[in-house]
Amino acid sequence: MSATPLLELRGIDKSFGPVQVLRDVAFAAYPGEVTALVGDNGAGKSTLVKCISGIHPTDAGEFHFDGRPVSINSPRDAAALGIEVVYQDLALCDNLDIVQNMFLGREKRSGIVLDEPTMEQMAAETLAGLSVRTVKSLRQHVSSLSGGQRQTVAIAKAVLWNSKLVILDEPTAALGVAQTAQVLELVRRLADNGLAVVLISHNMNDVFAVSDRIAALYLGQMVAQVKTSDITHSQVVELITAGRSGNLGLADTGSNGTGAAPADTTPGAVR
Amino acid sequence: MTVAMRAGPSQDEIRRQNLGALLRYVHVRGATTRAELTTALGLNRSTIGALTADLAGAGLVSEGTPKETGRAGRPSLVVRPESARVYAYAYSIEVDRLRAARVGLGGEVLDRRELERPRNLVAGAAAPLLADAVREMHRSVPPDSICVGAGVAVCGMVRREDGLVRLSPTTGWVDEPIGAALAAELGVDVPITVGNVADVAAFAEHARGVAAGCDNVIYLYGDVGVGAGIIAGGRRLTGHGGYSGEVGHMVVVRDGMRCDCGRRGCWETEIGEHGLLRAAGRSDARGREALLAVFDAADRGDARAQTAVRQAGDWLGFGVANLVNIFNPEMVIFGGTMRDLYLAAAAQVRSRLNSNGLPACLEHVRLRTPKLGDDAALIGAAELAFERLLADPLDVG
Repeated sequence: MSATPLLELRGIDKSFGPVQVLRDVAFAAYPGEVTALVGDNGAGKSTLVKCISGIHPTDAGEFHFDGRPVSINSPRDAAALGIEVVYQDLALCDNLDIVQNMFLGREKRSGIVLDEPTMEQMAAETLAGLSVRTVKSLRQHVSSLSGGQRQTVAIAKAVLWNSKLVILDEPTAALGVAQTAQVLELVRRLADNGLAVVLISHNMNDVFAVSDRIAALYLGQMVAQVKTSDITHSQVVELITAGRSGNLGLADTGSNGTGAAPADTTPGAVR
Repeated sequence: MTVAMRAGPSQDEIRRQNLGALLRYVHVRGATTRAELTTALGLNRSTIGALTADLAGAGLVSEGTPKETGRAGRPSLVVRPESARVYAYAYSIEVDRLRAARVGLGGEVLDRRELERPRNLVAGAAAPLLADAVREMHRSVPPDSICVGAGVAVCGMVRREDGLVRLSPTTGWVDEPIGAALAAELGVDVPITVGNVADVAAFAEHARGVAAGCDNVIYLYGDVGVGAGIIAGGRRLTGHGGYSGEVGHMVVVRDGMRCDCGRRGCWETEIGEHGLLRAAGRSDARGREALLAVFDAADRGDARAQTAVRQAGDWLGFGVANLVNIFNPEMVIFGGTMRDLYLAAAAQVRSRLNSNGLPACLEHVRLRTPKLGDDAALIGAAELAFERLLADPLDVG
């Protein structure tokens, strides 16, 4: 859709002590698109996300946001740019209601008291903007919500702050079929509303159902970033498990940390 | 349609068109400021004012002051559709249920009723049930309301000229005059328009759903059978008699499974309810719940259900690739049971589509699920009725 990425990373390296977790990683996320980030356990997906969200500092590499070079040194920097992350555990408080959760730590005030009407209205507008119809009352406690509804609230919370890039870590893990379907539709709607969305998932159905691009990590290297319309299920599985598939992914000879630029495939090259 | 030789449209025609354009704008987009209408319709302010006054006089729109805009100057008046007062009745005749709704101008469902439908119920028997539901809803209608007509969505082939349901293999209907039966039951003179469920759902999603702004759209609707509503170049593709879009009866397997329509190897024998349940070893089950149970079992690791879902997903991608190559749509929408199948087997659907679709046709195609959900059939049926109003706003009521 859009030609310029909202977020672009180049040459990201990250080590924990002697273990190099990310090696010369390049990654791009585009506005209006869902970019799926796939990879086996330990491939570096979570580390990459933590680098983007400012939790881990990177050892080397550049960040570009909206075409400008930026540095993200803390979660605050990431939030200031409009990057929000929804983690697997959702970080919601069971004993608070939906509005309180959505504004937790960033409450609106009028004078010295909380501005409840404004917060409630903003929460309602955000949920309506996402066409969420499953939540009955904004004042019900999160503990009374189903898994899918909790995920919905967590996602709405991320969207509330005029965020531009939303990263979702396994949003459908542990959900049943019907709720998975609702969350997938919500993920799609975020991107259709103009946000850049990064979806981390192990479930190939989820990836193919909503993504526009697929980025595959293999042992800390970005082996391919391709359009979802140019690749098949088995090719993605090969990229995840072997790092290459046909002419996609790592070159035959072992690369020495230089050949990990995202493979830009042309349609037709993939069959 | 007038075909008289003439220099140009008359003043009356221009006025009628402008009234229709203004009403359509607020019908589709909701409350709109006069200022925005002026820009959007390309008319000057006094014309917009006069048109709005006419529509308000007929009770179709209302004008009010907007909420605070936070800007200097006198705020532009907001024109709102009279959603609570101007309405159409919408019916949806599906394989397992009958639905009736009262839909306000602007596309809001004001009231609804739902009934179970035995699978062999004929039109003559369905009409009284729907009429009862409507009479019940009618009791709570405010007295000064305006009913602009009624629309019916049917899962079957509908003759455009008179709304006769020619063939609906999944419901067993052959040449059923549902429109006439409903009119006789209701005994009122509101016009009733009948359309195929996939066509009207496509219409609704195109007007105010996920496909708003897209001019080339395929809406795949699935229940027992599968049909498509096709919008090409911004217009609904109905075919000569109104029967186009029967994509479920594309023959994809030579001498394949027998279809409800009497032929063999139709696409819907592979992706429809019967095919999926058969492949999952549950031939005696039926209905959407049974289908959802298969998807659920597949999700929990039932090997047979998984194979059935993957196979059906592959077949779904197979047919969609053909449609994408023929129509080059910018969006394919999966509705009804096709939504569930797509979301449960997207990897297979997408992989098959990517292998069989021509790269140029695949370039910009987006795969989506409906924004209006199951309401698309009702909202679309109401749109059929609103079309008459929008064509000549001051004539109806």
